[in-house]
Amino acid sequence: METNKDEQLTVIGKMFHSLGLFLLRKTAGQQVALFIRAFMSLFSRSRSFKTDSKNIILQTFFTGVEIFPILFVVATLFGTVVIVEVITMMGKVGFSDVVGGLMVVVIIRELGPILTAFLIAGRSGSSLTTYIGGMVINSEVDALASMGVDPIRYLVMPGLIGGAVATFIMTIVFSASAICAGFLMTKIAIAITGNAINLQLTWDYLSTEILNAMTFMDFIFIVIKPLVFGSIITTNACYQAMNIPRDIRQVPKATGKSVIKSFFYIVCADVFLSLFYFIDYFNEISKII
Amino acid sequence: MFDEALRIDNLHLSYRGLIGTAFSKPRALGFFESGIQPGEEELISGANLVLKKGETLCIGGGSGQGKSALLRVIAGLARPNLGKLYYFGEYIPPERLTALEVAKRQVGFVFQNGALISNLRVRDNIALPLRYHKVGTPTEIEDKINMAMDLMRVRDCAGMFPHQLSVGMQKRVAIARSWAMGPQLLLMDEPTAGLDNYNRRNLLPLIDNMRTLFKTSIIIVTHDLMVAKELGCKITFLAQKTLTEPHSFDTWLHGDTEITKELFRDLRASG
Repeated sequence: METNKDEQLTVIGKMFHSLGLFLLRKTAGQQVALFIRAFMSLFSRSRSFKTDSKNIILQTFFTGVEIFPILFVVATLFGTVVIVEVITMMGKVGFSDVVGGLMVVVIIRELGPILTAFLIAGRSGSSLTTYIGGMVINSEVDALASMGVDPIRYLVMPGLIGGAVATFIMTIVFSASAICAGFLMTKIAIAITGNAINLQLTWDYLSTEILNAMTFMDFIFIVIKPLVFGSIITTNACYQAMNIPRDIRQVPKATGKSVIKSFFYIVCADVFLSLFYFIDYFNEISKII
Repeated sequence: MFDEALRIDNLHLSYRGLIGTAFSKPRALGFFESGIQPGEEELISGANLVLKKGETLCIGGGSGQGKSALLRVIAGLARPNLGKLYYFGEYIPPERLTALEVAKRQVGFVFQNGALISNLRVRDNIALPLRYHKVGTPTEIEDKINMAMDLMRVRDCAGMFPHQLSVGMQKRVAIARSWAMGPQLLLMDEPTAGLDNYNRRNLLPLIDNMRTLFKTSIIIVTHDLMVAKELGCKITFLAQKTLTEPHSFDTWLHGDTEITKELFRDLRASG
């Protein structure tokens, strides 16, 4: 049977076949496959809107809302540090006109999405892995499949959409609270220490600087980055959980892998997305020269 | 061929096919890497089985012989290395043999541990497949859930979560769940283990009802060979990595084979 199939393939066909199998044997390839399957399961025939919407809302709530307190505190303190450092350093070296640009780059463009994704990977990603891993151990995933309920649609797809949406919302919350609450915290810190930059740092100054420094591409990346990061976190978490070979000792291992690999993939994706700005920079270099 | 519920031809299964859930790995991998590799230890080697529609069959054998694994293969949860499976006369090729594809052909599975979804209440657990597949109007579904709960006497704990129930209760809910879907072929993994005598005696008439009223074909994996006697069904044993010919309880009891001597010793002694 199988030898017949091999003979039917042409040389190019064989190459594509072995390339496909090579990619599918790799972890990353399997994760991409899982992501595509989860996404395509949205369009599968047996759809029950009520069950799915309930799962998605629960997942969004779990990923997004419950992380808010810690995220708010982290964002505020982080924003304070960035504002204080930027204002004092830039004033010293005489670049006070790039304050807004630096704030945009540090908070909105780079570290806002990444820190939010790290927080969500550490909390929601790990708990998603433990949750699905427990279901695998108890053979609940098998039970779902034997009832005709697609586990990928029932478990992975809500996690994926909920994770992406929640990461998006939380990134905006993170950036907003880093700037607004960070500003207030800075003011309080200045009031306590009695520093002179109080005169320079007003809300009008800060907000206009930041708004002037924002480009159109920043607004697009505000949307794209969190969606990519959220998808990475949940796909990776579900993948690690689904691969547990029904052995209770593998659950903590899978959880650890889920978090660490999420960090790794997020940074990789961030570098990849940042290449866009790099290209932009090179285009401008030719103009300058 | 058309009056068959299930036919297994020359099934081979190794430990490799049993690992994991097969939901994260792409199906192509398992398909192109199937087949027997040299020097691989097999769990089941060359098993054949034919089950007629409406027939009940018990699968016995010592523990660790791969009875549950065989049931997982039939439900599409484990991938056989070699062999053909026909469901209701229809051959499913190995690249499409998944649990979802098998479940489409109305094959139900009662797990050994119940395998209830832990974040749903008992009522929602029973309702999940019905609501997901939209079997009838909401009132019809509600009626069906209530009937299933009454049959297995779990109505009192309809609002409880699975972790609040005992193992026996979980198993009863699991049986109610698979009953509610109205399967054509029901696979039961140790249905009587963990049940008390009263509920065990209630379960047997229920199984009997299912096969007389709904013409359900049932495969029961059990250590409790008295179940086979009370249901009056044939027993096949999984021994020496293959399935024996199905015979009735009495034939086995008075037979003169290795299996008979080993497994029916106590029953013979007690008469």
